[in-house]
Amino acid sequence: MKNLGSFAAQRDRLSASRARRINGLNLLTIAVAGAAAQMSSNIASADSGNGVDTVLGNAMNPAGFSTFREKDPDGLGESPDSRSPTGLRTREPFLVKEPNTNANGWLYNANAEVGVIGGNATTARAAKLIEYRDLDDGLLLNTFGLQLAKPADAAFFDVNGGGVGRKDQFYSLSFGHYNDWKVKAFYNETPHVFTTTYRSLWSGVGSDTQTLNGLPAGGGASAAAAQTAIRNTLATTPYGELSLVRKKGGARFDLNLPDNWKFFASYSNERRQGARPFGTVFGGGGGGGNIETAESIDYTTHDLLAGLQFADSLQSFNLQLAASLFRNNIDTLTIENPLFVTINGAVSTSGNITRARYDLYPDNNFINLKSEYARRLPDFYDGRFTAAVSLAKLSQNDNLIAPSVNDLSASGATIGGAPIAAGQWNTTNSLSQQTANAEIDTRLVDLGLRLTPLNDLDVQGKLRYYETQNKTVYWACNPLTGQWGRIINDGSGSALLNTNYTATGCNVAATQALGIVPVAGNINIRNMPFEYKQFNYTLGADYRLNRTNSFNAAWERESYDRKHRERDNTWEDKLKLGYINRGFEEGSLRLSFEHGRRRGSEYRADPYDEFYSASLGPLPTANGTNVASWVHNIEQFRKFDLADRDQNILNGRLNYALAEGWDAGVSAQFKDINYPSSAYGRNSKQRQNSLNFDLTWTPNEQMSVFAYYSFQQARMKQASIWPNACVIGSTYYFFSDGTINTTGVVPVGTSLQGSTAVTAGNFLSVCGTAGAFSPLYPTSRMWDVTQDDRNNVLGLGLNYNFGKVRLDMNYTFSQGRTKIHYGYNPTALGMTALQTGLAGDGWSDMTFSVNTLESNLMIPIDKQMNVRLMHRYEVGKVSDWHYDGVAANPMPTNNTAYLDAGPQRYRATLFGAMLMIDL
Amino acid sequence: MSIARLGRLLRTGAFTVALSIGLCCALSGKALAAAPASDGGYIGEKKCIECHGQEATHFTETLHAKVFRQNPRTQQEARVCEACHGPGAAHAKDTKNKDLLIGYTKGWGTPVEKQTAQCLGCHQGGNRMHWPGSEHAKNKLSCSDCHNPMEKISGNALLTRHTINETCMNCHQQQRAEFRKRSHMPLPEGKMSCVDCHNPHGSITKPLLKADSINNVCYTCHAEKRGPFIWEHAPVRENCANCHLPHGSNQDKLLASPRPYLCSQCHNPAVGHPGQFFRADQSAAAQLGGGTPSQRVIGRACQNCHSQIHGSNHPSGARFQR
Repeated sequence: MKNLGSFAAQRDRLSASRARRINGLNLLTIAVAGAAAQMSSNIASADSGNGVDTVLGNAMNPAGFSTFREKDPDGLGESPDSRSPTGLRTREPFLVKEPNTNANGWLYNANAEVGVIGGNATTARAAKLIEYRDLDDGLLLNTFGLQLAKPADAAFFDVNGGGVGRKDQFYSLSFGHYNDWKVKAFYNETPHVFTTTYRSLWSGVGSDTQTLNGLPAGGGASAAAAQTAIRNTLATTPYGELSLVRKKGGARFDLNLPDNWKFFASYSNERRQGARPFGTVFGGGGGGGNIETAESIDYTTHDLLAGLQFADSLQSFNLQLAASLFRNNIDTLTIENPLFVTINGAVSTSGNITRARYDLYPDNNFINLKSEYARRLPDFYDGRFTAAVSLAKLSQNDNLIAPSVNDLSASGATIGGAPIAAGQWNTTNSLSQQTANAEIDTRLVDLGLRLTPLNDLDVQGKLRYYETQNKTVYWACNPLTGQWGRIINDGSGSALLNTNYTATGCNVAATQALGIVPVAGNINIRNMPFEYKQFNYTLGADYRLNRTNSFNAAWERESYDRKHRERDNTWEDKLKLGYINRGFEEGSLRLSFEHGRRRGSEYRADPYDEFYSASLGPLPTANGTNVASWVHNIEQFRKFDLADRDQNILNGRLNYALAEGWDAGVSAQFKDINYPSSAYGRNSKQRQNSLNFDLTWTPNEQMSVFAYYSFQQARMKQASIWPNACVIGSTYYFFSDGTINTTGVVPVGTSLQGSTAVTAGNFLSVCGTAGAFSPLYPTSRMWDVTQDDRNNVLGLGLNYNFGKVRLDMNYTFSQGRTKIHYGYNPTALGMTALQTGLAGDGWSDMTFSVNTLESNLMIPIDKQMNVRLMHRYEVGKVSDWHYDGVAANPMPTNNTAYLDAGPQRYRATLFGAMLMIDL
Repeated sequence: MSIARLGRLLRTGAFTVALSIGLCCALSGKALAAAPASDGGYIGEKKCIECHGQEATHFTETLHAKVFRQNPRTQQEARVCEACHGPGAAHAKDTKNKDLLIGYTKGWGTPVEKQTAQCLGCHQGGNRMHWPGSEHAKNKLSCSDCHNPMEKISGNALLTRHTINETCMNCHQQQRAEFRKRSHMPLPEGKMSCVDCHNPHGSITKPLLKADSINNVCYTCHAEKRGPFIWEHAPVRENCANCHLPHGSNQDKLLASPRPYLCSQCHNPAVGHPGQFFRADQSAAAQLGGGTPSQRVIGRACQNCHSQIHGSNHPSGARFQR
């Protein structure tokens, strides 16, 4: 038995002071009528109930401290091969290091790992390699720590950190008095690299204004000239990085109060700065021009939390107030436009569209008050009652910006059929309101009752209610002109009603009273304040068959009442069954099955009329009117979050000690989802299966080997129809090859299958409903997509002690493959033979693989020093068809440019030599 | 927010707080009697260490040891070993009888319910208020499946593994594999833990989430997407998981499907492009061979134009383009 002497001595030193405390405590206990305070085992950095920041570490130290410490050869004690109650092997403990002592009674330990790393990670700089980690060559203070304690005063002071000076550095500081109070502060940086193959055309990326480097704003003389100029510039522009770094710091105070009360309060501040890939579009419908840009990011988020907790043997109570204040230090982003864009129904010349301006994410506030209460009911079937109430408000009231940054009044331009006067669209006077005044309130009530009517049976009922109330109102109407709708993309397009309405001056009722058919049915005239109410009712039972076997069963109904969605109500009944067997000595088995059946009220493909121009006037009746914009979607289309759904999930988990030193684990999930009423949208059967194996071999104290393997498979299907047309007064003829015309002339080699005449009286039904002879959604123009995902993950590990020298090796292989297969009728879709040939029956596989081999060799120098030699080799491959050809062909048309060449393959080697010092 | 609305909220909040505190205070005097404080067969830590010195060596490093030994606030805490294992006198006389002491290992065989009750004797309430009946409790996990109070092997919380993630992935191997996919949250890189989103000790929000809704969990780190916005995107406002797979995905940005197909699972308006059939002749590479490139396919696909897909505050942002 080691260290017993020193421990015993320490214990003896403490005994006197402890005795004094206990005596004092007894008096205190009597004074407060037997109430007993509870110690806190939670510490600020791992609050499982509130907030984030539960870990401080980085890729080199996921644990936040060096896990390469020497293991204790004597294990944990009498049961070196002990297992957790589930049967999982207990991890070998680290060797306990006796602390140093100074004259004032302080015990202290200090440690550091410092060295140098180098390799080609810096030069490889593939985004995936450095996505969340800093592997730059150079000196590395990998970890450090200082622990001080004065047992006589129950005082402690800890400092820890790692990755010093790097983009993934972290630090923590904590001090306090055990069982009384504690302060913890932290600072943590997290890099996030989005791409390292971005070719910027602008100065000022990361700021609120991005100015072209030499290219003319507005594209110059023509689209072809703009294309040439941009291509030439890109050819000489090196790849750059778009990334951000999260820098977060905070502090928390925990205090144990008398009478079983506890108080805590925390504050954190996070700053995010950098840029990420973004898109800028011009024209209506996106056809005017499109260029990949960079979104400048400079966010600050303040989070405050305060709470009060009470618990005794009968009841417990939590009260907490949380606030989160998000501030975007870049309110708007203005980007100069290098494209010669195509104008859509708006101003007369492309040259006016020199800039784009975004209203970036607005400042917002979140405040949440939450109260929870639980009480045992020992005299009522040994019951337990819980209740929780939570109220929250999400709000923002940012100043709105003008619809266009460009002065559209030049060149005698018109928009929506009206001439543009100066200031009509590029000032905030053109808005119906000056600030957003947006607000969503949420309310949560949760009640639960758990009873034990029989010794071996628990029954439980739960009721949960959650609602969101969206109070945001915004009308899209320009009070200066009386025009409903909006200009699009800084004036390069428009979705405006014509001037027939302007006299009513943005008055909805007056506009509707005019009785004028709008030019289109799908022009947004106001926001959609989505909100919902969610109800969950649960009844469950847990029956203990014997000491180690149990069954559980539950029925749950989850229902939603939604506003402004295709379905007002959906409800899902879930039946859950579970079996747990912990009875066999070598392991545990857990099985569960869940069946869910979701249905709902009538599905309306178009619930949005009141927010669109369709609501401002009667339906069109005139022959020749294109009425497609009055049809929102296919009648038989089902959005998957609202669709009827049948779902079965089978879970299994077994861990088993095969033999002495051998531990195995198997887990699996088979998920089968069916959308029985979805002809279009996500449809048919969806599968998600996962199978996982674990194996650990620990033949002796000198060696351990582990291996794991996971296989995942998923399939998802969807279908839709490429819309055709719907014009009142037209007759549509459908032919055997899938083609459609309005002339009735039979194409060579085909035969007429049928025809449909569109009238004012039938257009909503014949065009809105998919069918063989639907003018708008003919089934000949249907296409479907099947997505197959496959993933393999393999992990291998070896830990071996060569006497004093220790080797630790880990290998991880992760591979993912997504196949996209599709079906379509190329003739019906009007595709050429060349297009059909190139399209084939699917995309090239999207693949991802990473092989990582990491080796560490620990060589002890003396009791206080070890040398760690590290080698890491990583090969990554990403193939994504979104980026096929982008590097070589960044401007495939004269008004589209893609500046991010996408993910890269990489091969990186990293060497490190570290000195690990324990003082 | 209007003054009246603020007033209503404050009144409702104040009422809730007052009700809760009142309820608690009114009932606090009726607490059950504390655990028996008589000698009850307690023999003291010194006696335990006579046989369990090695255990004590490791226990000394733990927070429990420091609290129990240096500043116990109850008699039970002062019992150190016996605070958790129960009175040891009978065990000392008959060390092989596993019914005489509460053990926290598979081999010792103390019923899980008894183990858990012993832990909750001190750790009830707070973040564990919803443990009874929770998913982990229903599956008969013991506290000591995740925590090992006898050794300090993790940075905090006395976990059975070095980190929270390792501890969770001991059982949740499926999620371990998902965090190795092309896009994933930075858990393997040590910048996040499972407990940033989930409360393994129980929650009123499924699946063991730490906030009132999935979205509120996500907003904790992605506060900019909280809004609310003038122009909202329905599935975004309701549930981030409609589009994103939080543990990992083969697609960029944790998406459930590649764009544009993800978007066309909901969108097919009669006017415009979402219902069009997007295909392999529309890539930048295909254009070099005579294809017809589409900005709805290349690069960020739909988000080339609809870049503010999480919501827009721009007056022209109804389609999330500004």
